[in-house]
Amino acid sequence: MNDNDQANILMVDDQPGKLMSYEAILKDLGENLIPAKSAREALDQLLRHDIAVVLMDVSMPEIDGFELADMMRQHPRFQKTAIIFISAVHLTDLDRIKGYKSGAVDYISVPVVPELLRAKVSVFAELHRKNRQLERLNRELEQRVAERTEQLRLSEDQLRERADLLELATEAIFVRDMTGAVLYWNSGAEALYGWKREEVLGKQVHDLLKTVFPMDPHQIQEILAKTGKWDGNLVQVTRTGEEVTVACRKALKAGGDAILEISRDITSQLKTEEALRKAERLAAMGRVAGIIAHEINNPLEAITNTFYLLRTHPSLDEEARYYARLGEEELLRVGHITRQTLGFYRESRSPVAVSIATLLDEILELQSRSMDAANVIVDRQYRSRRTIRGFPVEIKQVFLNLIGNAMQAMPEGGKLRLHVYESRRRNRQHPGVCISVCDTGTGISPEHANHLFEPFFTTKSVKGTGLGLWISKGIIQKYGGAISFRSMSYMGQNITCFQVTLPDAEVPMLSEAGVDASEEVEVA
Amino acid sequence: MAADRITILCVDDEEIPRTLRALILRKQGYQVLTAASGTEALSLLDQNSVSLVLTDQMMPVMSGTELTKRVKAIRPRLPVILISGMNEIPADASCADRFVSKVEGPDVLFNAIHEVLEEARQRN
Repeated sequence: MNDNDQANILMVDDQPGKLMSYEAILKDLGENLIPAKSAREALDQLLRHDIAVVLMDVSMPEIDGFELADMMRQHPRFQKTAIIFISAVHLTDLDRIKGYKSGAVDYISVPVVPELLRAKVSVFAELHRKNRQLERLNRELEQRVAERTEQLRLSEDQLRERADLLELATEAIFVRDMTGAVLYWNSGAEALYGWKREEVLGKQVHDLLKTVFPMDPHQIQEILAKTGKWDGNLVQVTRTGEEVTVACRKALKAGGDAILEISRDITSQLKTEEALRKAERLAAMGRVAGIIAHEINNPLEAITNTFYLLRTHPSLDEEARYYARLGEEELLRVGHITRQTLGFYRESRSPVAVSIATLLDEILELQSRSMDAANVIVDRQYRSRRTIRGFPVEIKQVFLNLIGNAMQAMPEGGKLRLHVYESRRRNRQHPGVCISVCDTGTGISPEHANHLFEPFFTTKSVKGTGLGLWISKGIIQKYGGAISFRSMSYMGQNITCFQVTLPDAEVPMLSEAGVDASEEVEVA
Repeated sequence: MAADRITILCVDDEEIPRTLRALILRKQGYQVLTAASGTEALSLLDQNSVSLVLTDQMMPVMSGTELTKRVKAIRPRLPVILISGMNEIPADASCADRFVSKVEGPDVLFNAIHEVLEEARQRN
């Protein structure tokens, strides 16, 4: 029923004449008039239509008006339906009518005054219409409330789901305001940085994490303001002081009052990539070195043999033979360099136990004559007789080089000190041996110190390839050891000490260079 | 045994190094046969009295160590010297009596030949 629809008015009377007269009286109201000749018929119409008001004669055969009213009131749908009783004035009737406490009930006595009946019916019809309108509005309102509630529930669910997702994410996710103060901090951030949510809320996040930005932070802010997002790698420090590299995406929140940052820990990924690159580079270098060595060595042998043939040729005089001899010697030096640099020459495939003390003695024995000539005194102290697993030629090369350098630094004589002792640097699982080679020679100037282990660096302007220390370092690194030096002045005398640490561990079979060996430079 | 009674079979796929190596050996008084491949070397061994095989390692088809193994299979007492331009010693180099680097110069090679022949003489 629309607000302006006709109201249904049910008229109940067993006398058709009365029904007709009610119809005549009420016709002008413009409502829909439904006649019923008995209570039974009235009930039937009540069930079929939405009745605004029932006009009923009290005295009817079978079921009278009061009985009909009782039946209606028992039905929940009709409890509030307006009823107008039409009755002759009997006191008993009036008492009974007053008994209907609930619901709209009125009473008209006979003879019926048409204006009165019209007015009463009209009021009830209007009331019914208003009620219906109110009900409809209520229903609409209720539906709107229900819809809105459902929407709220859905968005709340979504929010909760999103929050759950944020908590599930292994990435560190946090929201900070424009001053940098943390507003939100997920469990991924707790896991990555070690800081609990309650510890960081309100704190300056990038101070806390000691963030190092790949560019000026102001520039990042500008990009964020312009494009709404930024990504790049950051270096940060966790609660335990560990440095981590993270791939970070920043997004400006809608409204521009906060920044969302999502960071993924890529520290180990970067390390792995770096190690892989290094390994690949080393492998490639090894291959190239092998090829170059072969390509140089083959013609080198042919040329050396040619010089040999030249110098032994009977047509040559003494002088020409001398020149050929010089050429041949120089060629041997070239061969020596390729052997040293482009892969190490090994006399055996598997490492053997090498006694450092014995090896040093052998070197000193070789050098003894030139030491006597140069007035060099040797002080040797072997406090460790530990052997090192390795290749004697390689280890010998290291100390031949160090002792050779020391000798060359003391052309006017001096003291060469060789000490061998148990390594204290390494932990107990990797015991090793420490060897120090000290001289009282010309010393090492601070400007040379940083370049000492670089290839082709030499202080010996004529002699020397500049490869000796570089190669020595390479060998020591391969053994997982370390080389360091210090040069100091003591009572007007320069003392230069090289210290080599060699761990007593299995040496890799192939000639890949050590990755984690350290090089320490210290100049006093 | 005088050097001129000793025949060395010199094997190398590259002509110039092979020729020069043969020349310096002849200067030392040795008789020298040359072969450009392992196959040729094996057939020369069949027809000649050879005291020592000096072979390059890096050769196509049959490498120096492969040739060495086949020589040793036929004549176990015949000394073989491997010579190589590679800095790394091949894994199975121990099948030969000596391994000599090409860049060590003639004197090292002569020494190795002398030693190996001396060892062979003592064995026989």
